[in-house]
Amino acid sequence: MKLDISFIGTAFIQLLSAIPTTLVITFVSVTAGFIIGLIVALLRIFKVPVLGQIASGYVTFIRGTPMLTHLLLIYFGLPVLLDALSEQFGWGFKSSSIPMIGFAFISFSITAGAYMSEVIRSGLLAVNRGQLEAAYSVGMTTPQALRRVVFPQALAVSLPNLSNSVIGMLHGSTLVFTVSVVDINAKAQIVASTNWKFFEAYLAAAVIFWGLTLIIERITAVIEKRINLYNRGGVA
Amino acid sequence: MGAPFDITYVLSYLPKLLSTLGMTLLIVGGSLLVGIVVGFLIALPRLYRIPVLNTLARVYVSFFRGTPILIQLFLFYYGLPEILKLAHLDISKAPVLMFVIITYGLHTGAFMSETIRASVTAVDRGQVEAAYAVGMTGYQAFTRIVLPQAMAIAVPVFSNLVIALLKDTSLAFTLGVMEMTGKAQTLGSLTQHFIEAYISLALIYLVVSLTLEKLLLLAERRLLQHEQTDGPERRSRFRLERKGSYRSMVASVDSGKGGADL
Repeated sequence: MKLDISFIGTAFIQLLSAIPTTLVITFVSVTAGFIIGLIVALLRIFKVPVLGQIASGYVTFIRGTPMLTHLLLIYFGLPVLLDALSEQFGWGFKSSSIPMIGFAFISFSITAGAYMSEVIRSGLLAVNRGQLEAAYSVGMTTPQALRRVVFPQALAVSLPNLSNSVIGMLHGSTLVFTVSVVDINAKAQIVASTNWKFFEAYLAAAVIFWGLTLIIERITAVIEKRINLYNRGGVA
Repeated sequence: MGAPFDITYVLSYLPKLLSTLGMTLLIVGGSLLVGIVVGFLIALPRLYRIPVLNTLARVYVSFFRGTPILIQLFLFYYGLPEILKLAHLDISKAPVLMFVIITYGLHTGAFMSETIRASVTAVDRGQVEAAYAVGMTGYQAFTRIVLPQAMAIAVPVFSNLVIALLKDTSLAFTLGVMEMTGKAQTLGSLTQHFIEAYISLALIYLVVSLTLEKLLLLAERRLLQHEQTDGPERRSRFRLERKGSYRSMVASVDSGKGGADL
């Protein structure tokens, strides 16, 4: 087996078609994860009686186990649960009608939610307590104070961590090949095994992932600059 | 999809999975060793800004942080023998475990180097100057003054890295290494009790990572004894202010998973 440099280009072009799948999985899991994370973080910060403890348990469990086990548990466990419920209540719903990618969406959102909640929580805690008090003193309600005063500042603080989470999810999306969704990684496996050129195919995949990661970093840097405008200090 | 759910299987799988825990921990330990050495080698040229090596180190870190570990696993498994064949070295008979440890080691090394670099830069510049002022050489100042302080700062990030590495080892099964995840899949397909196998797998991972976390927290406390004003004791408590030099130092040491930064 000889190294075939030109095949890297061929594989690269074939892999381009799988980029949207990877990006969709990343986007859905990050967006859903952000919503879950925000709720979980608020439950924990405000120490809501029972829900706060459940939220802590959720974060500990997800952060203590690999992403792959979440995916496998959802992939094998959810259909059993849904079919049992559907039979009980006569929904006439079959779990086999869920597309494979649906399992990836659900499982990765749950994973992202736990990691995001920690990012959001640390961002919120980084905002000075006095800011909240100042908001109260001018007569804002707690939701108003959070939305208008705390969240914008927290977002600015946690942006680097958020971008790391997005990149983490982008890299994590390579696991979907275990539930036979064709993303960049799975496509690389297909291209590699049909042509018997493994190294070249994975090299092309690595280059694509590297490029995507760098793009995400650049975008974050631009947003960070904009969002931190008020932080310049001074009068002008 | 498989046999009906039976909770007793979860318990009966636990000892079977525990028998492969050693393999998982071996991968973690081996890659950590490789990672620390690589991390140091990569961090030093960047800290001392050695011309060409500096750029090479940056590209190295960017590559390993910018591509998924799964891709890296395949890349090294298929690529390393071919590249070494060009140098007339035949390692195609080498055990798979070796490739796995090398890949995880190089991957961890990139993150490790960032941790080392960030924590060394977090040590106050004046400390080095003070060391020079009492007549220490550059090497002495580094090993006696900077390193102990940098290590204390690096420990929290380091423990995150170790736990992330533990979870990443769940991918080694893709190359056919019989670690815990691989074992769980085999058990699942043998008995068709997939969910039960994965539940006990998740339980073991949870217990192991919680134990590791506790151990590393103990180490952190020991190393931070000299940081009395704002040590881990107070840091772990709920506080909204952002004061204290130690806190801001740890906050600035950002080398979580992800990020390419070229």
